[in-house]
Formats: sequence, C-alpha cells, structure tokens
Amino acid sequence: MKKKLLLILFLPGVACGAYANGHTSNSLKKASGLNVRSAVAAAVAHSAYSAAPIKGVVRDNTGQPLPGVTIRVKGTAKSAQSDLNGQFTIDAEANDVLVFSFIGFNTQEVKLASGASLTVTLTESSSQLGEVVVTALGIKKERRSLGYSVTEVKGEELTKTREPSFVNSLVGKVAGLNVTSMSGGPGASSNILIRGVSSISQTNQPLYVINGIPVESQPGGIASYVSSKPNNNGGGQYDNSSDNGDAISNINPDDIESISVLKGAAAAALYGSRAKAGVILITTKTAKNNSVEFNSNFVAETIIDPTDWQYEYGQGSNNKAPVSLQEAFQSGQSSYGGLLDGSNQLQFDGVSRPYVAQKGNLDKFYRTGSTLTNTVAFNRMFDGGSVRLSASDMHNNSVVPNSGLNRQTFDLNGSYDINKHLVVNARANYILEQGKNRPYVGDGAGNPNFNAWFLPSSVDINTLKGVSNGAIANGNEYGYSANTYATNPWFAAENFVNNTSRTRLLSNVSLRYNFNGGGFLQGRIGSDSYNDRVTNIVPTGTAYRVNGSISEESTNVKDITADVLAGKPFKVNEDITITPTVGASYRRTRVESIVNSGDNFAVPFVYNLQNAISNKSVSYYPGDLETQAVYGTLEASYKSLFYLTGTGRSDWFSTLATPGKDNKLSKFYPAVSGSFIFSELWHPTWLSNGKLRAGYAGVGQATTPFQTQLSYSLSSATLNGLPLGSIANPAVPNNSLVASYASEFEIGAELGFFNNRLSFDMAWYHKKSKDEIVLAPASASSGYNAAVLNIGKLQNKGFELLINGSPFKTDKFTWTTSLNGSVNTSKVLELATGTDQLLVSTSRSGVGFTQQVVGLPANQVMAYDYAYDAGGNISVDPNTGLPLRGKLTAYGSAYAKWVAGFSNNFTYKNFNMSVLIDGKWGGKIFSTSDYYGYVFGLHKATLVNRTGNFGTTAAPINAATYYSNLASNVSKIFVQDASFIKFRSVSVGYTLPANLFNGAVKTATISLVGRNLFYISKKTDNIDPESSYSVFAQGIESGGLPTTRTYGLNLSVKF
Amino acid sequence: MKKKLLRNITLLSAGLLLSTGCTKDFVERNTNPASYNQTNFNPNYMLTSAELAYTGSTDFSYETWRGNLIYCSTFMQGFSTVIGYWAGDKYLLNEGYTSAYWGNAYSEQVKPIVDIVESTKDKAQYKNLNAIARILRALVFERITDLYGDVPYSEAGLGYYNKIFYPKYDKQQDIYNDLITQVTQATAALDAAGDIPTGDAIYKGDIAKWRKFGNTLLLRIAMRLTKADPDKAKTIVAQVSGKTLEAADDAFLTGDATGGRTTINRNSQVLLGDGGQENYYVKWSNTFINNLKTNSDPRLSVLACTQLYANDATKTPNASPVFTASVQKGMPNGLDFGTAGHIVSADPSFTSFNDYSSPSPYITKRNGPTFILTYAESELLLADAAQRFAVGGDAKTHYDNGVKAAITYLKQYDAAATISDAAAQAYLTAHPYNATTGLEQINTQYWILTNSMLDFYESWSNWRRTGFPVLTPVNFPNNATSGTIPRRFPYPSNEAVSNPDNYAAARATLTGGDLLTSRVWWDK
Repeated sequence: MKKKLLLILFLPGVACGAYANGHTSNSLKKASGLNVRSAVAAAVAHSAYSAAPIKGVVRDNTGQPLPGVTIRVKGTAKSAQSDLNGQFTIDAEANDVLVFSFIGFNTQEVKLASGASLTVTLTESSSQLGEVVVTALGIKKERRSLGYSVTEVKGEELTKTREPSFVNSLVGKVAGLNVTSMSGGPGASSNILIRGVSSISQTNQPLYVINGIPVESQPGGIASYVSSKPNNNGGGQYDNSSDNGDAISNINPDDIESISVLKGAAAAALYGSRAKAGVILITTKTAKNNSVEFNSNFVAETIIDPTDWQYEYGQGSNNKAPVSLQEAFQSGQSSYGGLLDGSNQLQFDGVSRPYVAQKGNLDKFYRTGSTLTNTVAFNRMFDGGSVRLSASDMHNNSVVPNSGLNRQTFDLNGSYDINKHLVVNARANYILEQGKNRPYVGDGAGNPNFNAWFLPSSVDINTLKGVSNGAIANGNEYGYSANTYATNPWFAAENFVNNTSRTRLLSNVSLRYNFNGGGFLQGRIGSDSYNDRVTNIVPTGTAYRVNGSISEESTNVKDITADVLAGKPFKVNEDITITPTVGASYRRTRVESIVNSGDNFAVPFVYNLQNAISNKSVSYYPGDLETQAVYGTLEASYKSLFYLTGTGRSDWFSTLATPGKDNKLSKFYPAVSGSFIFSELWHPTWLSNGKLRAGYAGVGQATTPFQTQLSYSLSSATLNGLPLGSIANPAVPNNSLVASYASEFEIGAELGFFNNRLSFDMAWYHKKSKDEIVLAPASASSGYNAAVLNIGKLQNKGFELLINGSPFKTDKFTWTTSLNGSVNTSKVLELATGTDQLLVSTSRSGVGFTQQVVGLPANQVMAYDYAYDAGGNISVDPNTGLPLRGKLTAYGSAYAKWVAGFSNNFTYKNFNMSVLIDGKWGGKIFSTSDYYGYVFGLHKATLVNRTGNFGTTAAPINAATYYSNLASNVSKIFVQDASFIKFRSVSVGYTLPANLFNGAVKTATISLVGRNLFYISKKTDNIDPESSYSVFAQGIESGGLPTTRTYGLNLSVKF
Repeated sequence: MKKKLLRNITLLSAGLLLSTGCTKDFVERNTNPASYNQTNFNPNYMLTSAELAYTGSTDFSYETWRGNLIYCSTFMQGFSTVIGYWAGDKYLLNEGYTSAYWGNAYSEQVKPIVDIVESTKDKAQYKNLNAIARILRALVFERITDLYGDVPYSEAGLGYYNKIFYPKYDKQQDIYNDLITQVTQATAALDAAGDIPTGDAIYKGDIAKWRKFGNTLLLRIAMRLTKADPDKAKTIVAQVSGKTLEAADDAFLTGDATGGRTTINRNSQVLLGDGGQENYYVKWSNTFINNLKTNSDPRLSVLACTQLYANDATKTPNASPVFTASVQKGMPNGLDFGTAGHIVSADPSFTSFNDYSSPSPYITKRNGPTFILTYAESELLLADAAQRFAVGGDAKTHYDNGVKAAITYLKQYDAAATISDAAAQAYLTAHPYNATTGLEQINTQYWILTNSMLDFYESWSNWRRTGFPVLTPVNFPNNATSGTIPRRFPYPSNEAVSNPDNYAAARATLTGGDLLTSRVWWDK
C-alpha cells in the first residue's frame, strides 16, 4: 500500500506542488495533532437516565486531542477507545465512573454527572517512553514510537538565565548540539550545529519551525541569502561590519512552551530539502487556564578581559620611546618601544607622561551592560476556545559604550472550535526591534573593539577621549596613530552610527476538519513578513574618510509557507494499526533590498542622504524563490511493541531553473524508521523502559536564487555620462545544478532503570552527503571569486549519550542530574576534480584560513608552517635571515569534536538551584589577535631578545621586523586549541509560599541568576576560546567583543 | 471503506497538484529582475568599466595606492615619503600591498575585458568593439606580467566561458609572444567602416586613433624585449614604424568627480589625502626634483609646488602654493621619523615638510586625466629602437619629438600647466641629443615623462629594462632586498589557497625564490 501511495504521489509527470498546507498528525494510536487549542465542551448528547451512548473528547494538557485512549466503565467490562480526534463514545449511566488510561499519561477517573458535557484532560506521566514529543510537521508522538532521536527542552530553561538571543541558552543542553554565540554583541547571530557540519559551504544552520511553520533564520539575515546582496559578515578577509543577527533571535523566550530538536535525517525527513542541517521545532505557549503571568528579569554584564599582553616595553619603535609628535603617531600601534622606566615621554597628544604600563584598557573602555526584560501574559479559556496574549519589552545596554538593543514583542495565540468537527487556530507575533550602534567586528576601521584591544602597552585609553567622545574641538576624530584606519575606539563607539530597526509580523492560521472515524483534513498558511532598516554613518571628521558617508538600507522580506495534510488510521485487527497521511506544501520567499548611499557631507556633522553630495548611489537587490513539495507517510504499529514509519517527499526548486534548459527541478527524499519496545516482552523489576530504534533517511539542499545564469548590471555612477556595466555574478554561474542529497542511518536505544530514576538515551549515526552545491573559491585570475559547483562529498559519524538521574528524592529534597555528551567526526570525502582544498574563510591577517580539505574533518584551521630544507632544518631568507614561509598546513577542525553539558538541579522545600557546566574539546581557533600581538609588539612572546639583533650579521634586523615577519611567514604559531570547560550558568530560586498574599498570587518565584561566569579550564591566551566574529568564519577570531559574564535577578509571578 | 478513503485521499492530493502552481514560473523566479543578460545588454557598457579599471580600482584606488604609489613611485624615486606604511620607500615587504595589483587587475580589468572579447566574438555589429577589447586586453596583461612575471594569461578570466577556475601560469615569454600576435591581429581587424564603440571613454570610438594606439602598444611590448629577445623587438619595431601615435593622439581617461570613489581620478584621491595624510607627507623625491632643477627643466614649476599647506601644525590648505622653480626641493627617499640615521628632521635638506615639493594641484585634480599611452612615450621608444637597432628612422628626430611632446603634453592636465613650444625647444637646445649617451638620455627622459604621467608602473618597467636613470638605492634598516631596488612583486600568497597547484609550479621555476629581488624573464 505504501508503495502504491508513493507511486501515485511522485509520478514524474505530476511535477507540481500546491498551495496548501498541512499538518500532520496522526501517527499511531497515541498521537495527537499539534494544533494548540483548549478543551472544553464537546457536543455531547446523552441521557442521564439510562445506559446510553456517552460522547466526549480526551485531550492533553495543551488541548491537543488524544487518540487511542482506553476508556473503561469502572467495575464493568465495557470499554472504548478515543479516535484520532480524541473523540469517543461509550455506553454508561449517570454516576458511573469512567477510567481513562493511556500510556504516557496518568490514569484518570471521572464520575459521570448528569447533563454535563464530557471533556477530559489527561496529564502526562513522567514515564520516559510515555513522554509525548513534538516531531516533524508538528506531529506529537509518543516517544516509544520514534525510530530516531529527538530531544526536548522546556521553555523555562531558556528564560531564567536568559540571553538576548534565546538560542544561545541551548548551549550544553542537548547531546549532539554545538552552540556558539558570536562576538558581535547583543542580537548577534548564533552558530548552531546539529550533528556536525552538514554542508561543505552552504549554510549549516538548522531549520526553525514555529508551531509547524518553517521560519528562515540565516546568519547575517535572509536578504543576503535569498537576494544577490553581499553578506558583509561573510567571513572574508576584509569584512568589517556589524553582525546584525539572525531572525530566530527575535522570539521572546517567555512565549516558548518547548523546543524539540530533530537531530537526524530520519526525524526531519518530512522537511525534505530544508532539513539537511536538522530541525529545531518551537511550540509556543497557549492558554491552559485563566491567569495572568508576569516575568521580570534584570541582568548586568561585565567583560572578561582575556588579554595577557606584555607590559615591559612601551609604545615606540626601534626599542625606544617616541621623542616627537610624529614619531608618537607613526608608532601609534606599536609597542616595540623602550623599557617602561617611568621617565616622562611624549605621547601622541603632545603631552609628556610617565612611561609606564597601562593595564586594563579594556576594562576602562567597556562599561557594565544591562538587560531588563519584562513580560506579561494573559491567559483565558472560554467555551469552545482559548486565547493567550503576551507583551514583552527588552531593554539592553551593551558593554560597548553607546550601543544596545531594544525589543518589544506581542504574541496573540488563540484557538476556537467552530463546530464539533472544525477547529481553527491562529497566532500572530508582532516584533519590534531596535539595534543602536551595533559595533563593527572583523577589521579595524570604525571598529571600537579592534582598536581598544591593540593600544600600545603604555597608552591609557582614557587619553584618547579628546575633547569629548574621541574627537577634537572641531568634532573631527582624535587620531592617535598614523594608520588612519585604526579608528579611535571612543570615536568609533560614540560617533559612528550603525542603527538597525526591524518590524516583523509572524502569523499563521490553521484549519482542521475532524471526520468521524478518525480521519482529518488540515490546511495551514503561515507568513513571516518583516522590514529591516539599517542606517550606517561614517561621521564627518573620520580620519580615513574625512567628509563622511552614509548608507540607508531597507529590506523587505516576505516568506509564505502553506501546507495541507490529510490522514486516517485503519485498524487492521486488534493489534495492528496502519495510518497513511499525505500532504503537500508550498513556499515562496521574496526579498527586496534597497540601499541608498552617498559620500561627503556638504554641511559637516549633518547626517542625512540629501546632505551627502557625491557618489550617490542606489542599489537594488531582489530575491525570489519558490519550492513546492508533496509528501506522504505510512505508519504501522503492532501492539505497543513494534512501530514502523515510512515517508517520502519530493521537492521542486525554482532555484535550479535555467532559461532555455529543461533542468530536473525535483528531488525525492525517502525515509524509514522503526522502534522495538523490548521492555514490553522482557520486564525485570529493575528495568522500567527498554527501547531499540533505527532509522534511515535522505534529505537534501538546493541553493539560493540567480545562480544559474550570467547577468550584467549597471553602476549608479557614470563616467562623464557613460554607463558603467559589470557582471553581476560574483561567482561563475552553473546552468546544470541539481539538489544535493544526504543520507543518514542511525540506531539508538533508550533505557530506564529503577523506576526511571536512572535513564540512558544513546544514538549512533552515520551521515553522508553528495552533490554538495558549493561556492568553490576560484583563483582571482579566473575573473571570479568563486564558482557555483555541484561537487563534494561529506561524511559525519557520531555518538550521542544522555544520562538522566534522580539520585536523591524525598519530599523535601530532590536532586536531579543530567549529563549529555556527543562526539562527532566529520570527513570531507571529495571536492572538485583536480583540487583537494576549498577555502571557507580568511583571517584579516591574511595568513590564517579555514578550508575544507579532502580526507580531513570539515572546516580545517589552516596556517603556514616553517619551510624546511632537505635535512629538516628551518629554511631562512639568505638576505634577512628570517624564517621562510613553508607549506599551508591543516591543524584541525574549527569545530569541537566532543561537546558535553552537565546540569544539576536541587530543590529543597521552596528553594531550588540549578547549575550547568559545559565543555567542548578538540576544536582549533586561529587567533588573529595574537597575530596582531606579534605585529604590534604586545604579545609576551615578542619579549625574547627584544633589544638584540635578529637576521644575519651582515644585515641585522630588529625585533619588530623579526616578529612581524615571523607572524606572516609562520602563522601556525597562532593556531590554538579551543577546548574549554565553562561554568555556564547557575540559578538559585525561591518560590514564595502560596498562601502569602491570601491567594491573590498563585505562585511567585524569585531567582538569582548568573551566566558565563568563568572558565574552569581553557587553553587560549589573549582570546576567549569561544570567540568567532562570523558564523561563516568559525575558527577565526578577529576584532569582536570580549565575552561577558552576566548576573542578575528573575522574578516570576502568576495571578 | 478503507480502500475508498485511501482512494479519496490520493485523488485529493493529485487534484491539488494538478490544479495549482507547477513549475512553469520557475525560470522567471530564478532570473534577477535587476540585471541584464547577454541578449539585451550592450557590451559597450563593459568597455567603459574596463577602461576605467585600467586606471585603478573603484574600491578607493586599491591597487593604485599600493602598487603604483606606495611601491613603484618610491622605487623609482619619483615620490618620497615618511609615512610608515609606504613600505616601498624603504624596500620593505608588505605582502598585502604587493598582492593588491594582482587581485584587482584580474577582477576589475581582466574579467570585463575578457567578457567583451568573448561575448562579441564573431559578431559583425561589434567588430571594432571586439578589436579594441583585444588591444586593451593586451594592455592589461602586459602590466600584470611586467609586475609579477609568469602569470595566468591564456586561461585567465575565462571562469564563465571555459569553466576554468584555476588558470595555469603562462611563461612570460609565451605571454609576450601572444600579446604581439593578438595586438597585430586586432589592430588589423579595426575597420573604419565598422561600428563606433559608444562606450569608449578614451578615444570616443575613433578607429584611426585606436589603430595607432595598437601599433604603439606593439612598439612598447616589443621594446620590453630588448634584453630578452632583441631580434623580435627589432622586427616588430620595423613592422609598426610610421604607424604609431601622433601628437594629438595621447590616450587618457578623464576622471569624473561626481561619481565619487567609483569614477574619481585614482592617483588624485590618494594624493589629496582622501584616505590618509598622503597630501601632506608624500613629496617629490629629491632624485626627481634635482634632475629637473639641474637641467632647468620647464616642467619643474608645473609639476611641483611648495607650501601646499599653511604650516606644519594645522595642515590647512594654502590658497596660493609656491611654484617658483628655484625654491623647489625634493625629499630624500628612505627617511622616517624615528629610525636612527634616517630621521627626516635630521636630514640636511630638512626645514619643514611644507618646504618640500608636493605634486602640484594641476596633476592631482579629482576630475583630471590619467594618461594611458602617449605620443611622447611612443617617440622616445622609437628613439631607443633607432639608437639600439637602427630601425624606424632617426634617433635624434624621435628624441626631439619625444622630449618636446613630453614637455608640452602637460597642458592636458590643466590649462595652467601649459608649457610653450619655445620653452620646450629651449630645453632641447640646451640638452641636445648625443648618440654616445643616447640610451641614457632617452630613457631618463622616458623616466621623467612616465613619472609626470604618474604611471610609475611604466617607469619601473622601463628602468628595469634599461637601467636608466642610474638610481642610488636607499639602505634602510631591516629592508627586504639587501639595499637593492626591487625587481618584481612576489606572487600573492592567497594563490597558495585559491590556486595551489599552479602557484606552486610557478614558484618553483623562480630562481632565487619568490622575492622582491627575483627577476622577470625579460629583465635578464
């Protein structure tokens, strides 16, 4: 039957998707639909007088219908089961007691009263296998039926020790998840890897799905992903821009009920081409009662200064302090001066000051940041439906002066039973976000971080303040160095403008019709629509651009997803149930970005587009993509013992279409998975649960628009009236692209012991992908930066383990502990013919790279080794005696091989405490800061032979020349081990007694929280091992914010 | 019942599929509406971009700043500076700077010019456009190979057309041979009755001038081979003799200040201090000024001025800088603020920075011309050929023509830079051509000329070819060349990453390593 179904669905000729949408549901007996809605009132017609059919509906505590619940009349043999919509009919009389039992839920008894309609809400039991989890397309399933690994995280774990971007709170919580926050300040992107690097050069970020609607979240913004707009934070050597964040960080964690992480292909297969990097499902909160919730959170943050520079020699050159103003300027970035002897020496501002160490410049520059978040939520249930409205405000002051992020969110979530068959759910999430002066990262120009980091060892950063804000009296930059691109950090922070503002509406509506007999038909449409405005001003008086410049950018994104889904369970006999489901989906994403810019302000210090009088330009970046899909699943269950699911999905991609060419635009992705609950057959007292599972699936990835044909564009400027044309493609287009394909096999086991006081969940997986669509960097001499190629094979293997335990459990005191760990080994198997390397990103230093290298784990950190002669001795330049540059060598993956988290929760009476420690091992990082530490004479290693001569006797060279050339030639000295163990978070809470306010307050909890407090161990010097300035340049650190530790207070009250 | 429902579901799905969407709109979706394709785009627009890019990058004069100014101008002792990052003045190696020309030349010059050549190939309506593009392609590659030696040539810029992403490096000898073939063919293909390329910012589509340009380019290419392949040089000179540029044929491209960094004169925006303090600290070298001064060269008070700024402290511009020849003073190369023995303020010539000669405002206008190939160069090259090989006429005649033109052409910078024919003749009369020192005279004049064109790439190439003028190198501590004037730019190290095999092969053939001191093929 399955084959037949798939055959019909995927006939090659039927190459069309549909405007439709769907939701899944179904599954075996114990699944429930995903739609959030509340209970109450099923239409029931029954007589109170005699045994007559009693009708009712069973739901879980989120309002989802529960199919497959056994209902017995107590003391009799009469029984019935609820259907796919949770509805049931049973013969019973008034005062009979009905017993509702369902695996995974606490058994509940209900006494029949007269005339009452019957709606029963079952609460979930804590039994591990009975746990209900959200799976692909939003289908809720019992854990026992899953043939793959899914991990759930509850919303409350994200709210206490919160971060401006909630996804950063997932660090250390899920086995197989590698979370890195970027060094771009509040609201910067996050780098989330599920089961390792999933793609050689495309995005590795998972798909986020909110309430069943996929939401695009590309680092750097969707505009650069879907349109041809260049991504300024893309990991290039000269990238110097702010990280304006991804889209998922906008979500208010107070609105999140739970998060499901679908790690493997088998779990995510129904998302087809969007599932290659895994899927993170987010279920938002719905009303479950009538209440008002209020949450207030305040955290302060301070930087952790990782630098350990030398403070023996001061500013200057040739081992002496500057004696003239010009000399002070020329050595504005050099600490190759004289011994810090306390004598009075001239500085860049013409003032003579004692020549002494100036430590703690970073602490002087950065301020104490703060974030205040308030959320209020109103929950209301009424006859036939429910509604929840929340409003939140976040106000953040960054540690960078004059920088911060504010966000207001409004979330309205409701459901309504139109009649006994038809249920409507709707959600609207309105988000306003304002970023103030998001700081530049990467390179030095206009970047406060970079230049504060590398001030000479004898310069006090406060002397750079000038008259005010790093400017002199006329408002121009107070330069401290002849390098005009080394912007005064105060000037960069206080005078540069880089404001962002986002207005976003995420909305979805779903309609589900429940047929009698368990069949259903569901349609859904979701829309993600937002406008981003960015104002970027290089102010008047900036040393490297004296007359300033401005750019105003407006980006509109419209992402519409729709799907339909229909299904029905068929009971073959008492033991076997088969449930087919079919669906189709449609996605259309349109982006339009318009950038207006101009140079040279006619009236200084007045910043608007009209006032910029030259080089006016308008750039227009459109983007458009459409994907259509059809899919189907077939699920079979035998008793509660065996479960088997097969799915298939075909995707059609507009991004593969080429004019005049009949490309194959579709790709088929199959999957099969199953589970065996062996504890149903073998059940010793110490074993509470036992399950084995296995799954296999194919998923893939298409590409971004406009990659298939050569196109030309015109510049805004003309040369004395002549238009200036150019080739619009930065990469060589490819008119024969096909979608990439990844297949993954996984097996796993879930075991519970001693009444589930101790449990294990483990998984082993093996993932292989081929036909990777790669933006392969080409030699500049080809005319292009890169070429779009269908090349590459990549493999990931790994093992994940989650151990949960409740070592101590009494009425007053409980201790639960959880340890998760994973190991992932990736290997690049094949790249383009004739090459075994592929550049991913380049350090600003120009001598550190990340690359894909055939035969090695993905994203190798690369640097130059010494050159050696035949005898194995280090080769030197005969002219200068400097070590020569040797081979570009791979030193290890930028991504940690081992990732682990260890959390402990303690409750004693009304107190609770949770502690999270996490660690990563085996990743490498190229320290651009250390490179500059050598070049500028700040690194302690440059103290060796500081005043002596290097080079040859005939041509001696000084320490500055030696160390900066060494840094360029032998950059392997900057590759560091990024392993660490971090004391990630702690919270101590107290729940106020319930009777404290005469019952006016239902619950109130106050918590002290701390986050990113300290490293228990790390191996990097001068940088933080978690530093990374761009998701696209993981493994390279450069010019970002130092990491911060936060501590604060959380108050949660429910009325 | 079961079967019926299953059938219904499948029918429903099939119905949904057939009733909507389909993929017929997909090609339209995947076509960038803000762009053009080869069928509706005018390749003349690419020609303008390619010509502009030859004068320097739209990205803030990226390679002009680093290659032409920081390195070549100071190697040739045209300019001199105390700015720390002007590594060329001290023969220091800054790999990012020596690589700059490579990256921008291939992406901004080679890419569009190869695209025109390929996309207009065999199209009658673009016959002349194609021929001009082939001549320009040779111009572009000549400079690249002169700077780096063996470089990607035959496979370069063909990422789209031939799917070559990792071009091989051709031997410079092969490149030069093919440049001669290409320019000979393209010049012959020019057709006075053919199309008039509207995108030509240099000659506005004047085919006759392009023909002469092609021949002069051939002359320059050929003369580059006087050390490596003199026979070939001689043959080509004979081939083009009498067909080269004439007095009104100087090829230049006029900057456009209204387009900002995209179209502004490349050298000017750097020398005017748009991105640093070049306006204050970049001076004419004393080597250059001394030559002009010693010979009472009328160009001195046009090219140079002092007191460009009011004083050292405020650096506010001076409304009336001093052009008087007698006060002009060049700044010695190889000085800075703090290196013992090389401190500028300790130099006997130092009074104040304002007293050193700056490049004059006439030649640094934001909308001023960038000279590409001039009649004066052509005549001086012919003089060299006549002297060396006794081909193509009389050395003295060509020398006189060349020197006169090299003095009077300056009026094209600015009317105020006009030098009379009489003054030019007076200079010639005072410094008559002498065959025994002819080659030194010719090539010293060539050096003055190309320096005044601010084409220091050309100054350096011709100096490497002829050794004239004889320059005394600086010997700054920690320099990378043992105190010798560099002969070549090292390859960009990122080729080790983006084109590893071909890069490694090319490096292996360099005698003495991939250094500033190693030599290109024609520089034996």
